[in-house]
Amino acid sequence: MTMTRRDALKAKAVAAASAAAGMTAPAFAQNIPTARDETELTWSKAPCRFCGTGCSVMVATRNDRVVATHGDAEAEVNRGLNCVKGYFLSKIMYGADRLTMPLLRKRDGVYDKNGEFEEVSWDEAFDVMAEKFKKTLAEKGPEAVGMFGSGQWTVWEGYAASKLYKAGFRSNNIDPNARHCMASAVAGFIRTFGIDEPMGCYDDFEHADAFVLWGSNMAEMHPILWTRLTDRRLSAPETEVVVLSTYRNRCYDLADIEMTFTPQSDLALLNAIARHVIKTGRVNTDFVDKHVNFKRGNTDIGYGLRPEHPLEQAAENADAVGGSSDMTLEEFEEFLEPYTFEYAEELSGVPARRIEALAEIYADPDKKVMSLWTMGVNQHTRGVWVNNMIYNVHLLTGKIAEPGNSPFSLTGQPSACGTAREVGTFAHRLPADLVVANPEHRKVAEEIWKLPEGTVPGWVGAHAVLQNRKLKDGEINAYWIQVNNNLQAAPNLLEETYPGYRNPDNFIVVSDAYPTVTAQAADLVLPTAMWVEKEGAYGNAERRTQFWHQLVHAPGEAKSDLWQLMEFSKRFTTDEVWPAELLDAAPEYRGKTLFEVLYANGNVDAYDISETEAHPNHESDAFGFYVQKGLFEEYARFGRDHGHDLADFDRYHEERGLRWPVVDGKETRWRYREGYDPYVTPGAGVEFYGKPDGRANIFALPYEPPAESPDDEFPFWLVTGRVLEHWHSGSMTDRVPELHKAYPNAMVYMHPEDAGELGLHRGSEVKLTSRRGDMLTRVETRGRNKVPRGLIFVPWFDANQLINKLTLDATDPISKQTDFKKCACKVEAAT
Amino acid sequence: MPEHHLSSLLVHTRPDTLDAVADRLEAEGCEVHGRSPEGKLVVTLEAEGQRTLNDALTRIQLLPDVLAATLVFHHVEPPEELARPL
Repeated sequence: MTMTRRDALKAKAVAAASAAAGMTAPAFAQNIPTARDETELTWSKAPCRFCGTGCSVMVATRNDRVVATHGDAEAEVNRGLNCVKGYFLSKIMYGADRLTMPLLRKRDGVYDKNGEFEEVSWDEAFDVMAEKFKKTLAEKGPEAVGMFGSGQWTVWEGYAASKLYKAGFRSNNIDPNARHCMASAVAGFIRTFGIDEPMGCYDDFEHADAFVLWGSNMAEMHPILWTRLTDRRLSAPETEVVVLSTYRNRCYDLADIEMTFTPQSDLALLNAIARHVIKTGRVNTDFVDKHVNFKRGNTDIGYGLRPEHPLEQAAENADAVGGSSDMTLEEFEEFLEPYTFEYAEELSGVPARRIEALAEIYADPDKKVMSLWTMGVNQHTRGVWVNNMIYNVHLLTGKIAEPGNSPFSLTGQPSACGTAREVGTFAHRLPADLVVANPEHRKVAEEIWKLPEGTVPGWVGAHAVLQNRKLKDGEINAYWIQVNNNLQAAPNLLEETYPGYRNPDNFIVVSDAYPTVTAQAADLVLPTAMWVEKEGAYGNAERRTQFWHQLVHAPGEAKSDLWQLMEFSKRFTTDEVWPAELLDAAPEYRGKTLFEVLYANGNVDAYDISETEAHPNHESDAFGFYVQKGLFEEYARFGRDHGHDLADFDRYHEERGLRWPVVDGKETRWRYREGYDPYVTPGAGVEFYGKPDGRANIFALPYEPPAESPDDEFPFWLVTGRVLEHWHSGSMTDRVPELHKAYPNAMVYMHPEDAGELGLHRGSEVKLTSRRGDMLTRVETRGRNKVPRGLIFVPWFDANQLINKLTLDATDPISKQTDFKKCACKVEAAT
Repeated sequence: MPEHHLSSLLVHTRPDTLDAVADRLEAEGCEVHGRSPEGKLVVTLEAEGQRTLNDALTRIQLLPDVLAATLVFHHVEPPEELARPL
C-alpha cells in the first residue's frame, strides 16, 4: 500500500496528541516519515497573544507569512496543547479589513473633527497630532493630555509609553485597560501582602487536593489551565472541584460541589468559611502568630461613582476607602459572629450544608487547596475586599505559598502582569511596585532614567473611568489609545464614554490593527503592527516572562506601538513641554528632543543594531540601535535586588519563559517560602517581605449591598461576560470567519420560566433596558450558560449589540475597577 | 479553493463515560486512536473546509460528558497535495 502525505501527517498528529496526553502512540504513529513541507517551513516559538495563561506556540512561516501553529511541546505551561483561540493565531493578522495607512478625519484637505477619514502619510498624521498635543500642553498643562493603554502591550511598549507620559509629557494620566480586569486583584495583593502578583504558580495544579473556583469560568476562558485541572481531577480521584458562580457554566460539568449564588453574596460566603475555621478550632495558630496581622477595614466606602451621586454623598468613608485599624484574632472572631451558614444561605441562596462542605475543605489541615478567580471577583464594587477575604481563609489555615496550597488570581490579558502591573503603566504606579505619590520612588525612577529631579510628577493620574469622565467634561483634550477597544469595553458608554470622544474640544488618536468601534469614533487612526510582526515580551499570570522575535513584516505602513511612541517623541523638545524651573535647574537638557532625553539616553541605545541581524526588527532598523534590548535592560534595573529580578535579556530568547524573581539564574516557583524563594531570611520559614514587618494582613470586612439591585421596575440582574470563541471585545477574533461563525451574534441567556412568564421563547427578539440605555437582542434559553431565575447573561463581544450602553459605571472605590457583573434591567418583547 | 484540514485533539471525560464519549466522537466523524483509563481520548478530525471543521469542533465541545476538548495539531492543504505519495 502506498503511503501518502496525508497518512504521514495523520501519524504526526496522533503522535503529538498522544505525547501531550502522556500516552503511548499507536504503532502506525511511532515511525513518522518526514513530510516534504517540513523543510520549507521555518518554525519559531512565540507566546500566544490572546489570554493571560501564557501558552507557548510554535509558529511556522513561509514567504513572510504565518501559515501554521501548534502547541509547543517544550513549554511547561501548555505541554504541546493549544486551545481554540491559539489555533486561529495564524489567521489573526490577515483579516480583509486590516489597517495599512494612517487615517485622518478631513474636510477640504485639512483636519476637521466632523470630516471623513482619509489616508494620510505618517508625517502628516504626526504633524497634526503633535500640534494638538502641543496646543493642549501649552494652554492647559500635563493634566489635559492622556493615554489609555493595555495589558496586550509588550513589556517594552508599555515601558516606552510610561516614560513618554510620566517623564516626557510629565503627565500621570496614563492607565491600561487592565484597570477593567485586574485592578482589584492588584489592590488586594498590595493590601494583604504589600507586593503584587501570585505567590504560587501553575505547578500548583498538580499538587492540590481541591480546587475552588470563585467566579471564574475557566472551562471557557482558560481552557489550557482547565485541561490541567481536569487532568488532575481525573488522575487523582480523591481530589475535589468546587464551582461558585452566579450562573451555571461549563465548569459545573466537573464540579463535586456546585454553588450558584446571588450576586454580591460571595462576601458573606467567605466570612462564613472564616468563621467556621475559627469556631472548629482549625486556625493554624503557629502560622498566624508568626506571619499574620489582623486589621479592621473601613466600611461604607461608596461605589466609585461621580462624587455628586447620592450613593457617594451617603457613604461615610467615601474619602477613606482603603483605611484600616489594628485588631486581634479574638476581635476578628467576634466580628465574624453574625456570619453563620444560615445567614450566608439567606443572602446567597446556597444551602447551608453546601457552604459547610466547602468550609470543611478549607478547614481540613490535610487538604491542599487551590483557589482560582478572575472577573467574577475583580469586576465587583467590593472586588478588593473579596480578594482580601480569599487570602483571609488561606492565611488563617496557613495554606499558602507552598505546592498545592495556593490562592491564585488568574489574568485575562497576555501581559496584564508583565506590562500593566510589572512595568506599572497605571496612573499611580512606576515599575517594580513603585508609586508616583512617593517622592523616594520618583527619585529612583529619575536616577535610572537619567532625568533631573522633579521630572516625574507626584499627582496620581486619572484612572480608566475617570479619563472618560474628564474627556466628557473637557478636562482631558489630547488622548491616545493603543491596543484596546475602549469605546466598546467601557461601562455606561452612551452617557460617560462616547460623549468624550466626540467632544469638539478633544483630539482622539487610536492605534489599532483593525477598524474597531473605538477607531471609528477617533479623529486619527494609526495602523499598527501586531504579535509576530514585531519583537515582543509578555508576562503571564504565574510571573513568567516570555519573549519572541519578529517573524514577518507588517502589511503596508503598519508600525508597532513602540515605533509610534518613539517616533512621535521626536516631535517635542524639552523647551516646549517642560517648565522653566525644571530646565533652569538642569540647563543641559535644554533644546533636546524627548526622543534624545528618553530613548537616546545612553541606556536605551546601548546595544548595537548588529545584534538584531538574525531576525527582522523594524523598530531597531528605524532608530539605529537594538531598541527592545535597551528598553528591557533599563527597565530591569528597577526590579533587580528588589524582589522583582528579571534575567538578562538574551536568555529569554532561549527559554520558554522564566518566573521572577530570577536570582542567580534560577526562577522562583513559590514566593515567601524558605527553600523556594531566595528572598526569605534563612530560618524564617515563611516571610511576607512585601510588608515591613514580614507579616501579611487578614482584613475584617463585612457584607455590603451592591450599587444597584433589581426592583419592581428593573427586575433582572444583568451579568456580562465572554464566551470561548471570542476574546475581549472581538476586535481580533471577529476577523476570523470560523470564530464568527461559531458564535455569530450575542444573545441574552434567560431562564426558560422567566421567558415563559414574559410570553417569550427561544429566538424571540427582545429589548433590554436599564436606567442608562437599551439594546435589542434575541433570547437564548438553552446552550452552555444556564442562568438562574431573575438573572440574565449577555456576552459583550458583539460590536452591533453594545451591552455597555446598559451597564453602570460603578467601580470598586479602592481599585477603581468597574463592576460589569451587576446592575438592574428589564426585558420586554421588541415591537 | 478546496482545502483539507487535518487535526488532532485530546478529549477529557470521566472514566465511566469513556466508551460512550468515544462512540459520540465517532458519530461526529472523529477517529479515535487511543484511550486511557483516566478518561483521555486521542482523536483525529478531518474536514473539507474551515466552516465544516469549526462546526465539528463546536459540536465536540458541547457533547454530553466531554469535560475538555483541546487541539494539538492542525494542518491544511489542498486535497490533491495531501493525496500525493511520499
